[in-house]
Amino acid sequence: MSDQVNEPHWKRDFPIQRTEATKVSRRDFARFLCLVSGGLATGSAYVAVKANFFPPEEIKGEHFVCKAAGVPLGGTRSFVIEGSSIPYILIHLEDGSWRAYEQKCTHLSCAVYYKPGSGQIVCPCHEGFFDAMTGEVLAGPPPRPLPALEVVMRGEDVYVKAGNEGIAKNTGRM
Amino acid sequence: MSNFKDAQNKAHPNKTNTLMSALIVILILNVSIQIWLLYTGLNNALGKNKDVALPAFIASLVLFLIGFFWLYFLPMGYREKKNK
Ligand code: FES
Repeated sequence: MSDQVNEPHWKRDFPIQRTEATKVSRRDFARFLCLVSGGLATGSAYVAVKANFFPPEEIKGEHFVCKAAGVPLGGTRSFVIEGSSIPYILIHLEDGSWRAYEQKCTHLSCAVYYKPGSGQIVCPCHEGFFDAMTGEVLAGPPPRPLPALEVVMRGEDVYVKAGNEGIAKNTGRM
Repeated sequence: MSNFKDAQNKAHPNKTNTLMSALIVILILNVSIQIWLLYTGLNNALGKNKDVALPAFIASLVLFLIGFFWLYFLPMGYREKKNK
């Protein structure tokens, strides 16, 4: 760029003539916008690299959670799978079916809980509601459904394994 | 060497102002589109829908480059001739 300035910086920041002052600051504003633009492009690059080369690891195999008798109808139980720090929630729905979801709201990662009798999972932070049967968003700000695990019953024991995508289709909102 | 800058620097302030505003409006527009691209790319990537991230990044990069070369057209404003 052909704008060599032979003045010291202080003179540019505090020029004597008022017209110069306004012009300089708008130039700097435009440059700053360009910097922000570069930052956003870098952010998009980070997302693209992370999505394509470092996918989140999948859960392998089945994991024991608890005895079926330990969770009454309409009850819930939090658990973690060893080797990972993601909190999950196991729900025994009123109709007798079992569901397991990540206990992190897809909005800003608050802990969600099951509201007994309503069939809804609630996020208290910004009033987000999820369908307890499917994990779909019913209301509120969360942009994506809750990631689900598949629940497998083995006699009296409750196991979970990596969720089948069929339960909650994960499509990001535009 | 003389280029369009010399003429631009001597232009009437009204003209310079208009030019400046136009450039800044375009830059703001670019940045808003980029924010949307980042939001969409991230949202889809988190929803296991990773195909959106790469096109979003490419579009974002193109917008940045446009904005970057835009800066070349920034008016420098009136400067008094220094006699050296
Ligand atoms: S964090 Fe759950 S709704 Fe905002």
